[in-house]
Amino acid sequence: MQKVIAQTEDIPPGEMMEAEFDGRPIVICRAADGEFHAFTNLCPHQGAPLSKGKLCGAPEPTDYVGEYNYKNEGNILRCPWHGREFDIKNHGRMLANDKQKLREYKLFIEDGNITLYK
Amino acid sequence: MKGECHNHMSLIDTDIHERVSYQELLPYLEQPWKRYITDCHWIQEKHMPYTQPAVAGVDRADARVPDGRPAGSDLGFMQEQLLDSHGHEYGILTGALDPSPSSMHGWYEMATALASAYNDWQLDHWLEKDSRLYGSVHIAAQEPAAAAREIERVGSHPKMVQVLLPIDDILWGDPYYHPIFEAAEKHQLMIGMHHNEPPVHFGKWPKYFIEWHTLIPTAHMNQVTNMVFSGVFDKFPGLKLMMIEGGFTYAPFLMKKMDQQYKDLRHEVPWVKRMPSDIIRDHLCFTTQPLEELKKWELMQMIDQMGSDELISFSTDYPHWDYDSPERALPPRLDEDLKTKIFSENARQFYPKLR
Repeated sequence: MQKVIAQTEDIPPGEMMEAEFDGRPIVICRAADGEFHAFTNLCPHQGAPLSKGKLCGAPEPTDYVGEYNYKNEGNILRCPWHGREFDIKNHGRMLANDKQKLREYKLFIEDGNITLYK
Repeated sequence: MKGECHNHMSLIDTDIHERVSYQELLPYLEQPWKRYITDCHWIQEKHMPYTQPAVAGVDRADARVPDGRPAGSDLGFMQEQLLDSHGHEYGILTGALDPSPSSMHGWYEMATALASAYNDWQLDHWLEKDSRLYGSVHIAAQEPAAAAREIERVGSHPKMVQVLLPIDDILWGDPYYHPIFEAAEKHQLMIGMHHNEPPVHFGKWPKYFIEWHTLIPTAHMNQVTNMVFSGVFDKFPGLKLMMIEGGFTYAPFLMKKMDQQYKDLRHEVPWVKRMPSDIIRDHLCFTTQPLEELKKWELMQMIDQMGSDELISFSTDYPHWDYDSPERALPPRLDEDLKTKIFSENARQFYPKLR
């Protein structure tokens, strides 16, 4: 099945939009580079609506105590409740534990339409 | 000869308190430090409003040396009452915490002199007199550069297995103290942390000793949390930490809690690159005493929750009143393999110089 979810012009880079696909809540994220990514809208922790969180950046791992290198602005989906961070450019993997990730949905862009399919 | 305790297990006792008198330290002190003791009557500062209200204060009432000297002050009597009678293979000396140079709230030059004197006294009177005894390097950690020099001075001695840091009101994970860990790692010394007089009631003292004594593990939890989230073990991958005399039953909770917090708040400590429970499993060990009268199934649940049976190491805390017996403190009918780990192998794996 496939479904047109939104128009590309509906979502600026660094923004999110909630939607529904196959009866399930979805969040469409537009990364800093303009590309689109779709994930479940439910945080795997306690089911918070991810679309109410933020697309932001995060301090990347460092070898130096006290050093904050804030990177990936617009590519990190931060949960609105407990603040867990998911990298939308890396299949929704959690930054703290890359064994956990968001369920990702396939999509394609055609004629300005964002279409999810399975 | 390899020692065996009564249950025929090799025993490495990871917390034995030897005791020094100020008089015995004098030959190891230069002036002017010596005269501050002889002429000016310096003694270690004290903070607790109570005494240890057991039969003989802080000590087992039967551990006083027969000639009247304090418990833990005589090697011969310790050999007879502890090392020979329980068949110790090795014992780790952890000091009497008086003097405790790293606990002093000022006069760090005096603290540095005391630490050096203590180390020399410990080597002369204990470590070089009994092949079973291994020791802890005492330092004045408030001055990390001086502390590192002391570790350089005595840390390569084959009988020194760890650097001792007290658990009081300083959290040792701060980068200011990292020269200590750097020097320890260089000499294959682990870090041993043992409480002295940690304030456990919002920086002050609860009303009764029983409250303070119950809550000692909370002070240990402060240090474990601080060391992990300060990135000490990411920075010093060869370093390990023995938490001494706080028991281990807080560990399952703390591992779970730190993991959950790390998932939520990793961004505040980006220098921590792994799950805290993994760091704890790779870098920490906990001495068993004071055991909480666990049933076998309770102990096995704790070990299961820690995800490893290699994180706990038996300790007696001799000669103190809350001593644990090697024969009676753990629940009966434990598997032989587990007993071997708890009584000796976990400590042997933890301390490189015991291998």
